[in-house]
Amino acid sequence: MKQRTLWSAVLVAGLTVSGCGSATRTAPSPAGSGTSSKLVVWDWKSGDATAASYIEKAKADFAKKHPDVTVEFVAQPFDQYYTLLGTAIQSSTGPDVMLFNGGGQLRDRVDALLPIDEYVAEDRQRLAGWDAFSKDGKVYAAPVTLQGHPIYYNKEVYEKAGLDPAKPPATWDELMTDCAAVKKAGKSCFALGNKEGFGIQFFLSGLGSGVLTPQEYDDWIAGKRDWTSPHVKQIFTLWKDVNDKGYNNPGANSTAMFNDSWAIFQSGKAANVIGLMSDIGHWKDFGEFLPPDKIGVMPAPVVTDGATPSLAYDGGIGYGVAKWTKDPKLAADLVRSLTSTEALTAFYAKAGAIASDTTIDASQSGPAAGAIVSAIKGGKPALHVALSSKTLDLMGRVSQKLLSGSLTVDKAMDQMAAADKAS
Amino acid sequence: MKGSSPLVRPGAPGRAGGPDTTRQAGHRATGTGSRRAARSERLAPYVLVAPAVLIILGLRLYPLILGVNFSFTGDGDRNGMVVGLDNYLELADDPLFRTALGNVGLLVLLLPVAVAIPGLLATFIYLRVPGHRVFRSVYFFPAVLSPVIVGSIFNLMLAFDGPLNTVLGTIGIGPVDWLGDPGVTMFTVVGVHVWATFGMALVVFLAGFSTLDSSLLDAAQMDGASLARTIWHVVIPSLSRTIAFVLVTTMIGMLTSMFGLLYVMTSGGPEGSTYLPEYYIWIQQGQMNRPALASAASTVLFLIMLVVGLAQVGLLRRAGRQD
Repeated sequence: MKQRTLWSAVLVAGLTVSGCGSATRTAPSPAGSGTSSKLVVWDWKSGDATAASYIEKAKADFAKKHPDVTVEFVAQPFDQYYTLLGTAIQSSTGPDVMLFNGGGQLRDRVDALLPIDEYVAEDRQRLAGWDAFSKDGKVYAAPVTLQGHPIYYNKEVYEKAGLDPAKPPATWDELMTDCAAVKKAGKSCFALGNKEGFGIQFFLSGLGSGVLTPQEYDDWIAGKRDWTSPHVKQIFTLWKDVNDKGYNNPGANSTAMFNDSWAIFQSGKAANVIGLMSDIGHWKDFGEFLPPDKIGVMPAPVVTDGATPSLAYDGGIGYGVAKWTKDPKLAADLVRSLTSTEALTAFYAKAGAIASDTTIDASQSGPAAGAIVSAIKGGKPALHVALSSKTLDLMGRVSQKLLSGSLTVDKAMDQMAAADKAS
Repeated sequence: MKGSSPLVRPGAPGRAGGPDTTRQAGHRATGTGSRRAARSERLAPYVLVAPAVLIILGLRLYPLILGVNFSFTGDGDRNGMVVGLDNYLELADDPLFRTALGNVGLLVLLLPVAVAIPGLLATFIYLRVPGHRVFRSVYFFPAVLSPVIVGSIFNLMLAFDGPLNTVLGTIGIGPVDWLGDPGVTMFTVVGVHVWATFGMALVVFLAGFSTLDSSLLDAAQMDGASLARTIWHVVIPSLSRTIAFVLVTTMIGMLTSMFGLLYVMTSGGPEGSTYLPEYYIWIQQGQMNRPALASAASTVLFLIMLVVGLAQVGLLRRAGRQD
């Protein structure tokens, strides 16, 4: 077996080397070879049919500014993207511009990136989601999409339960009353998939702003997390309560979030789901089965007096500039073209993603998309994104134990505090 | 290598016999030629096995040593620094890794069941229960499915609101969370694995039965032995070699090819109860960005497999000696 592991390691190494080889071939031609030059972009999106018009618009915008520069997009498979990128970074060759997921994936690799503050100063107001692409006060990539956790509700289920779909619950007590009515109507109140342990992440970020006070929220994001504070503990108590009262779909620990929990919501078996804003599990994704006017978005119900519900979101994906690029200004211009309003409008409309551009008019995509876009201005970074991957992994297991009843909230908080402190 | 040298070596003196006599006659030139021929004959086996040896050394042993070496370095900020046994201490301290090792132990304990099932079914087919021809092909069918497909099928079947729980509900048994209850899930996955792979073992058992002396069975029947006694006193002793072989191959299968099922069916959950070392290694390397810790876990897994492998070789050798 070990041998098998070794063989696959050798195979992967071989593939990586060949991947890196192709990267060097497509690297920009040496400086001084003439007026025409070339920029290489690495991402995992440009190959998608839904992103075609976005790339086209961005290219056109860039060609207007630099007609003599050719741009080549290399679409890498996403599951190998960061491995391939790692090899390129090791050898300081490869793409001039590259796509990143916001947060840890980018912050782990800022050594290979150029701060682009001076080039994107004009875009700072127009685009949202910069925090996920910044480290130590410097910006390393420009956001393309936003990813966050709105609470969606199915207006049809609300109607069937005798509730007013125009008036979603604003406080936790109202939510519990509504959930009881939904349960009585034979539906689940929440569609929850916690097989991978992701459910708790969405719960924490989707509902957290209704529990923590603004000060506590900001402290959490800034890294000052007090796991023994009553409000943090309350989030996990509510997580357990909702399940104990039978408001989640049965078998949440064996239901996959991707995509079984979305299916439960879409098929009208559950009234609410804490979903995503972009890519999957969102307003457009649900639209396949639920007409846009049947999907609503509600702010987090208020649990604590003084809490101000806000949309939890971060920069989703964004383009950055490699440190080794020959002409940083040129590459930064390409990044700006890739985040131009026109290009992002195309991306939002075709790919079903909330784009980072706050000036895009989303009202045609139904009330849900409109509600999300209008909440962006007052939004805050998601609570779970601030945690390390190790802490998130533990939180997933702890959350499953809370649901099954094999761990108390107090013990769970002790474990979380220890893991968070260690990482 | 061991095999090839005796084959080539004895030939060399024989053929060199001719030139040897000519050398005594003083023909120096021919003597050099013969010595060269003798040397090339002597070197030939080494040259011939060289590719295989180099591949093993270069692509297996060398990476293995690198991997072990790598497990003594740090991750993240301590990347490349020698950290001694830190990674191993962390492993010993990680409840998740201990669960993974515990699950390996569980697999070993469940091994007799995994061998008994194809053994019993093969016995029934051999004893020509009604419909044995159909069963023979039906039983083998799952063996051609990939773990991903099998996992997906059972994900649907065993879902909390899936068909199996519906059937159980109609006969009054409450729903079982097959993939969500930490006390049940590991057994569910092993059960699915056995279902998916027992066809191969069944075929091996049937092959073993074809060598069974039917007069022994007839004699047992004449003496009025019950089915259970026939199996215990006649079938099992006659098939000891086959059983040993199936035991070894089933063990290897359980320890090496559960990853796909785990990945598709449980993702190591619920509550981390279905972690196996392989899955742990993959998570640490790919998700947690801890390649050095993953190397340490790989080294531990390698040592376990070494012990298990040597035990199996011993078992096979003993079974072979009985004949």
